[in-house]
Amino acid sequence: MVAGLEWHILWQRIFHPDHVFVLALWRTIYISVLAQTLGVVLGLIAALMRMSKFWPLRFLSGLYVLIFRGTPVIVQIFFVYFGANLLFGFTLIPRSVNFGLFTMDGAAFAGILALGINEGSYMREIIRAGIDAVDRGQLEAARSLGMPYRLAMRRIVLPQATRFIIPPLGNEFNNMMKTSSLVFFIGVTELFGDAEIRYSTTFKPVEYFLAVAFWYLVLTSVWSVIQAQIERRLTASERGDELSFWERVVHAWAPVAAWGRRA
Amino acid sequence: MNEHVMRAEDVRKRFGRLEVLKGISLEVVPRETVCIIGPSGSGKSTFLRCINHLEKIDAGRIEVNGHLIGYRQENGRLVEDTEANIAKQRSEIGMVFQRFNLFPHMTALENVIEAPLRVRKTPKTVAIREGEELLARVGLADKRDVYPGKLSGGQQQRVAIARALAMKPALMLFDEPTSALDPETIGEVLAVMEELSAVGMTMIVVTHEMGFAREAADRVVMMDDGCVLEEGTPEHFFTSPDHERTQQFLSKIL
Repeated sequence: MVAGLEWHILWQRIFHPDHVFVLALWRTIYISVLAQTLGVVLGLIAALMRMSKFWPLRFLSGLYVLIFRGTPVIVQIFFVYFGANLLFGFTLIPRSVNFGLFTMDGAAFAGILALGINEGSYMREIIRAGIDAVDRGQLEAARSLGMPYRLAMRRIVLPQATRFIIPPLGNEFNNMMKTSSLVFFIGVTELFGDAEIRYSTTFKPVEYFLAVAFWYLVLTSVWSVIQAQIERRLTASERGDELSFWERVVHAWAPVAAWGRRA
Repeated sequence: MNEHVMRAEDVRKRFGRLEVLKGISLEVVPRETVCIIGPSGSGKSTFLRCINHLEKIDAGRIEVNGHLIGYRQENGRLVEDTEANIAKQRSEIGMVFQRFNLFPHMTALENVIEAPLRVRKTPKTVAIREGEELLARVGLADKRDVYPGKLSGGQQQRVAIARALAMKPALMLFDEPTSALDPETIGEVLAVMEELSAVGMTMIVVTHEMGFAREAADRVVMMDDGCVLEEGTPEHFFTSPDHERTQQFLSKIL
């Protein structure tokens, strides 16, 4: 019952989050950002490998997608975290990873690695489709000017492909922020993990998970505004529509507005 | 100096079973403007694209400025040349496409200076100065910072011509440069091409613009079904063509 909810818990989780919670929120952000970045890099490499003239590269690229798109992420996360140790007899992921300037919790590192590798297999298809969507004449024009393939790809084709890649990439990142909650199962207390722990000690699941849903919604909403800004900048050269930052915010919340309007 | 800017010898090309070029031979001397005409599907565009190796050829040879295009000789056989060499050869040959193919993410000036900057490593100030001069030459000095999406077809094609000229090519190829244009913008593009031809640029133009062929061409080449049917001066060609097929073609489009 709504009346049975302890509203002050929800209130406290939303308006007065403690530092443990803020740290969990921060973990969700950096795990998603780093995993997505790794995914884009791996996806780009795999996409370029797929277009190679050298068949073993094409084969490897295909195998990569087959395996990592064909098995559950959670299995991959477990595999990276526990499995590598079992298989190779050494600890692939130590307790904490030292990057010189800072150290990172080993489980978080494993999570980022697994999520990123998984994401790369999806990004390969998105990037490939983006490259395919660029008019063939662009590459021909670049090459007719004496640009070698790599230069033409880097200066002419890829910048145009980003226009097609960014919208689905935005969706992928939105997914990533939510999927990153799976790393809780290897012991990383990010947003979901934090809620899970609090609920198990207080037995107030609805309050804590409502709060966590709210924070995920905040993250994805902020992202959709940022994404719209990026897309706007990318298409600025082709279209003249100028929406302000706040109009973009309104746009991101359009479903809510539409609900108020009564279709 | 080379006697010929471009020399094609018995060039053959097939797409699968379809033989599109059945042994084309053509020579173009410096400062000459050659117009290639003929019905669609006759292989004109394909031949043009072979000249800068956008299409591979199956037999024969093409030389530009005395250099074999796209292939090198190894133990008496022709093998495909390296990427870097082909790129270098292409940088000597300007090409203008039917659909302009301007880079939409770059302004007019950026389109023009891209290849000189990245391929020739021309210093930026020099490239910009030359780029501005070229845009002025095609009558678009005021559009230097405009993106292609905001330009008319004729303006885009003129930027594309400036872009090709920026590499100071020895030979310019035009692949139906006015076929995708509105009738009212065709004239401005043809005017630029006529000026180029008049100052002695070596040009090969695939076109359906008979007016241009008559005015600007030194030689007209008629292609049909993958062969060169006949060639000659515009006067001879348009008044008393040798071939019946040419007469038919001309009577249809004139």
